[in-house]
Order: sequence, then structure tokens, then C-alpha cells
Amino acid sequence: MSRTVDTSKRSVWIALGVAMIIHTGLISFQASRRINTSFIRVWMVDSLAPVEKLVDRTLHGVTHVWENYFALVGLHRENEGLKAEVDELRMQLEKQHEDILESQRLRKLLSIQESGIGKTIVARVIGRDPARTNQTVTIDKGVSHGVKPDSAVMTPQGIVGRVIHSSNFFSIVQLVLDSQSGVGVMHQSTRRQGIVKGTGGQELELDYIDDDNDLKEGDVFITSGLDRIYPKGLPVGTISLIGPRRGLFKAVQVRPAADLGRLEEVICILDHPDAVDVIDPTQESPVP
Amino acid sequence: MRRISTFGIVGKFIVALITVVIFQGILSLKFKAFSYFDLPLICSVYYGFTMGRPIASVGIGSALGLMQDSLSGAILGTNGFSKTLIGFLAAVAGSKFNVDQPITRVFALFLFTLGDGLLVTILGLMVNSTSSTPFGGAFGGWLLSATLNTLLGLGLFGYYDRWSNATT
Repeated sequence: MSRTVDTSKRSVWIALGVAMIIHTGLISFQASRRINTSFIRVWMVDSLAPVEKLVDRTLHGVTHVWENYFALVGLHRENEGLKAEVDELRMQLEKQHEDILESQRLRKLLSIQESGIGKTIVARVIGRDPARTNQTVTIDKGVSHGVKPDSAVMTPQGIVGRVIHSSNFFSIVQLVLDSQSGVGVMHQSTRRQGIVKGTGGQELELDYIDDDNDLKEGDVFITSGLDRIYPKGLPVGTISLIGPRRGLFKAVQVRPAADLGRLEEVICILDHPDAVDVIDPTQESPVP
Repeated sequence: MRRISTFGIVGKFIVALITVVIFQGILSLKFKAFSYFDLPLICSVYYGFTMGRPIASVGIGSALGLMQDSLSGAILGTNGFSKTLIGFLAAVAGSKFNVDQPITRVFALFLFTLGDGLLVTILGLMVNSTSSTPFGGAFGGWLLSATLNTLLGLGLFGYYDRWSNATT
């Protein structure tokens, strides 16, 4: 059944025109950088991200209760003889187990905080790109916590990305997988430098390396520090595939060191890397 | 009294739209495969089809797109532009075709998803922003996204239809 809609009404076209002009204006202002429109994003993120955080925490709580109580209902029925205190103790044990896992993760993050990177802050990932065109995540730390655009973000396993927008209490992080992302890297053993770019998929692509003849699968890349975003020496990823030469360089795929599909807590590096030089794991025993 | 009722309806819409965008972000975080879906797009198309009010459809598409842009880090306005157009076209399609037929919905959802991806990518490339080339520019990614979005949309449309029939 089709609805009778009079699209010939002038008001409809005016509404469409106004909406299009507003969006086109927003796009062109940002492209030309003539007018600062970041306040709109700051306002929107500060309004929406708290709701996102609330829903995330609620879901986390519900999942926890489900996993630690409802999933045990069947077991409880099978073991009718067990006393209620035992169930309660089991629940407490489960919760403690979760807490231990969480504290282990946080301890790892803390050890990185104390490893000489500089001033850092731990943030919780509360959402992922809702527009499917970007590889971004939302974290629950913003300008008021010291996080600002171009702050590097990492996990104990490796780099995650960089902050591209910050509101007062939340930030949007562009993952290294994003097709517009680029990281200055260094081959861990030969110290040759290059750039690792995001592809928009699950792998990274190595480019502009001095000499790619002796690269092999499994080789590790670390940050070079030359991009002025990531401190030197952080794990980036390992070569997962070496393809045929395309132009000047071989097609080299790099698998990110950090598990970017399961981000929960991340570390934001607050200091600019100018003042920072992280402990390089290969510095003491470089392979010639 | 009427003003209260109007505020109530607008309030419900605002809550629904925020919920859609927030759930898209959270589900994409919890389940990686969910990033192929686009709940705000499905929502824009559904309201366009069912409301019979092009101005409201334009407003809904516009708001959904702008919220997506804000939370995704994309250039503000790219998704807003695309979803506005989709909301309007869905309202027009709703007046011209029988959009209660599943086959019409399949075509519409598939084409709107492809069109959305194409438009957002073109706008992103025009301003050389971070919001370019989804899935590495692979057309296969768009097709997969369009197919999955169509399937989800078809299911959700059916559910919404039953729900709205039951409540009216």
C-alpha cells in the first residue's frame, strides 16, 4: 500500500534544501578550516557519549549477572542439595575471578605507565564507529583528563591509534587500521624505517621502507617516533604476508600487535613524544 | 493538551533516534561483524516509508546522520547529508510504490545502503578527510554490507509492522 504524500509542496523542498545546505556548509567549513565547527562535535559527543557509557556499563552489569547467576540456574537445580551459601560463595568466587582478570589487565597497563613512556592515563573503550566508514572507537577520557587530539593510544600489546577528536570528557580514537591512518615504523632487527598504513580492513600495509629485500614473515615492527605522535619503540605489529612487488615496494601486510577487535581498556599517552623516548626492547642487543 | 502530546511524540522520537545510534556504536564494539550493519540507515528508510511525512523524514535522517558523524570522527555533515537524502527519497518512494511488499523493501534497502556508502565515500574524498574509503575501498565490502543490512532491515521492518499493528 503506497501512502499519499504530496512531495510537490513547497515546504518539503524548503526543508530538504535547508537540511542539505546545513550539511554542505558543515562539510565545507571543516574542509576550508575557515570557521571552527569543533564546538558542535564537542557538544554532541558530550551529550551522546555519557548515554553510550551508561548503556555500556549496564550491558556489562547485565552480562556479569547473567554469566554469574542465571547461567548457573541449571546447575543449581541439578545440585539441589547444595546450600544457598555455597551458591553465593561460588558467585563471589566468579566475581573475584573477573576482578583478578581485570586487575591483571590493569596491572599490565600500570606497568606500562611506569615504564618511562611519560604521563599516561587509562581509559575505557565505550563504543565503536557507528557510521561503518571509519575505524574509530570512543573512550571515556577527554580534554578534562588531559587527552587531546594527536595523543597516542596503546595497549600493553602494542599501539592502538591516535586521538582525532576530544570533547571535555570523551575522545574519538582513530585506529591504526583506518584507511587514513599512518604510523612511522622501524624494523626491529635491521632498524630500517618505513610507514605502516591502515587499509580499512583487519591488516596494515607496509610502505616506503628503505630496503624490503630481506623482509620475512614474522618480522616485528616498532614505532620509529618520527611521526611525532607515537613514542619510539612501541610494538606495532608483525609481517603476516609478503606479496609480489608493486612498483617500488613489495606488498607487505602487517598484523597489528594489539588485538584491535577486543579493546576494553587502553592507555592514552598524554606527553608529547618530543620529550619521550621509550625503552626500546632491541636497543641493548641490536641484530646487525 | 495538544502541545504536551506533540512534545511527547517528539521526545519519543529523539529517544528512539539516540538509542539507535548508541546501540549501533555499542553493538559494533561488542561484535566486530556488526560494523557491516547500519541501524541508523535502516531507521531512516523505515520512518521514510511509514510516516508519510517527508519533512519529518528529512529531519530524522539529518539528525541520525549528524549523530553518527559526531561519534564516528568522520567529517561532520557527510553522513548527515547522505541520511537526509535517503530519508527524503524513502518518503518519496513510500508515496509512489507499495513499500509493504518485501521485494520493494529488499530493493530499497540494498540500493539505499550502496548509495549511502558511495555518497559518504565521495564526500569524504572530496574533503580528503578521515571518512573515506570504507573497508579499504573494496566494493565487495559495500555489497556485503548492503546484503547484511537488507536482511536485518527486512527482519526489523516485519517486527516493527507487527508491533505497530498490535499497538494501534
